[in-house]
Amino acid sequence: MRLLLVEDNARLASLIREGLNRQGFAVDWCETVDGAEHALKINDYDLMLLDLGLPDGDGLDLIRSLRRRHDTMPILILTARGGLDDRVTGLDAGADDYLVKPFQIPELAARCRALLRRPGASLGTQLTSGNVILDSAERTVTVGGVPIDATPREVDLLECLLRRAGHVVAKPALEGALYSMDAEVTPNALEACISRLRKRITAAGADVQIRTVHGVGYALFAPVSADG
Amino acid sequence: MRCSRLFPLMDRSGNSKKGPAGPTLFRQIATRLAAFTLLFALLDVCIVVLTYSSQPESLAQELLTLEAHKAEKGTDLQPDLLAGPPGAEHWSARYIDPDTNAGSTPPLRAGAAPGMLMDWTRRERVRGGYRITGVRSVLQNGQQRWLFMQFEGDGIRPYVPVIANEIVQHVALPLIPLSLLLLVFNVFAVRRVLKPLRRAEAEVDALDPNNVLLRLSEAPAPREVNTLVRAVNRALTRLDEAMAILRGFTANAAHELRTPLSIMQLSLDRLPPSPLRDDLQADTQHLTRLVSQMLDLAQADAMAVEPETPVDLADIGRDIVAAMAPKVFANQRDLRFETSGDTRALGHAEAIYRIYRNLIDNALAHAPGDTPIVVTAGPGPQLSVRDYGPSISDEDLPHIFERFWRKDRRETDGAGLGLGIVQRLAQAHGGAITVERPIDGGALFRVTFAPLKHGE
Repeated sequence: MRLLLVEDNARLASLIREGLNRQGFAVDWCETVDGAEHALKINDYDLMLLDLGLPDGDGLDLIRSLRRRHDTMPILILTARGGLDDRVTGLDAGADDYLVKPFQIPELAARCRALLRRPGASLGTQLTSGNVILDSAERTVTVGGVPIDATPREVDLLECLLRRAGHVVAKPALEGALYSMDAEVTPNALEACISRLRKRITAAGADVQIRTVHGVGYALFAPVSADG
Repeated sequence: MRCSRLFPLMDRSGNSKKGPAGPTLFRQIATRLAAFTLLFALLDVCIVVLTYSSQPESLAQELLTLEAHKAEKGTDLQPDLLAGPPGAEHWSARYIDPDTNAGSTPPLRAGAAPGMLMDWTRRERVRGGYRITGVRSVLQNGQQRWLFMQFEGDGIRPYVPVIANEIVQHVALPLIPLSLLLLVFNVFAVRRVLKPLRRAEAEVDALDPNNVLLRLSEAPAPREVNTLVRAVNRALTRLDEAMAILRGFTANAAHELRTPLSIMQLSLDRLPPSPLRDDLQADTQHLTRLVSQMLDLAQADAMAVEPETPVDLADIGRDIVAAMAPKVFANQRDLRFETSGDTRALGHAEAIYRIYRNLIDNALAHAPGDTPIVVTAGPGPQLSVRDYGPSISDEDLPHIFERFWRKDRRETDGAGLGLGIVQRLAQAHGGAITVERPIDGGALFRVTFAPLKHGE
């Protein structure tokens, strides 16, 4: 995974590069809009991390010109501008995500992974959190290396939660994933399914937690010690 | 009533709207107009008096005509019984027969043909005064008769009724209705002319420091009013520019402060673990929060919300609860979201997001760990955040929206700006924040917004 970091503050840039390197990203760095244009011509990048206030121009203009050229490379804005309209302006210009300084490396890495469509700590077809591993191709779940029995629906649900581990997944998203092929949906169906899944993995000794966010949805949390 | 008290904390029309001392322009104009009319009437009277006193002949004529009118009104009255003009001596009055003309030496004017009678007047000097003699044609019961009158008088006194009559006839009668008419006309004219001024006043009252884009409407108004309106508009433009500079400063300050903070934070993360590193990290986080809140507040102060966009408070509430839940759960707390009724409102989504966030942060700071925090959208254009922590004391209540106020100064978490930011953002929406103290404990902060216009 090769990232381009456009940031005019050298110290901050080197700290970000070092932090992301440790998370397994290769990061190239340039300081200006011109430098970024040049780098983009020479190399292919999977993701761009872009500061907005650059010495030779506004990062937003760079995004707009890239999008005009139909370049779909994911762009994460990394900025000090935290105003009320700044986020919307940035996303409207064509950025994919927006992170206001100061931030921490784990959060930045998580956002990068999300943009690179590698959610969680997935390796190949395996989604892992704590001692729970889900094989998305085989549709199997193991807890602490021991396979558990789960209905296909429960596996689907767990996959949804694992892909967004640490984040709240809204009820409509879960319902959509569960019942896309099934017309029969009762209001309590999701709740009941979550409850069964929770019991099942807890009984198997899972160290992850499925929490209910009342009125919003559900979230799967990895054990605190394992969370970067 | 569930709540022991309800405190409206915002009063947008708090300033005294009592009018300034001094009469209204309308009253000034009306008084001046009345005074002018009076002066004009007086002048008119003087002119009448002067004119007649310089023409005794016509005065004498008018006097006899007036007496004849009196006789005309009194039916079958013996003319001798008429009192005559005041102060008249040797007053005599009698009807004469033009056909017989018997024994009427004086009534017929010299040179007049017999049987041909006409009105005439003669004024002659006698010793100590004047004698006035004359004949007037009088219509009594449809029959024409001839009245002969004669008297002697002295000075102006006999003429007083004539002059008074003249004043009534030629000064008062035309002038009073004219003045009244003018006054009524003025009421309308002044009202009409002042209308743009009143409109401008209403517009100035409606001016909101949060929405400096508003200007007073210029047309159509008298030039004097327009000059003022334009001057006010120019001042508003300058204000606007000052606000823009302030906003620019806020953005620059944000950049200048946040970048070094990022460097500090990332540098600290690289240090080997130690209690000192943990302290420094906590300090950096506190500083970060403080800077963010100050910038948020500065921005909220300079914010120009145009709450024309329909937003769904429930959607924003779900987003913020989903975003904050992991952090809240990690601290062994519970965060719940509820929705009730129609939750649409007019507002700025990002600003409402921050209102929620600051209220939830406030609840997290004040409620103990084992109690839930309940976020509610609706019913109607309102949101609320309820905690089950200790109730706000009477002593603290007036201070909670003060900037940099904290219940316990020793607490290092937070700057005491969160509720101030919420209040400011609510005001920028033309909304309000209230705090309720439910009897079963805790605090409920409620923010209301402008409802959606009908049909949207």
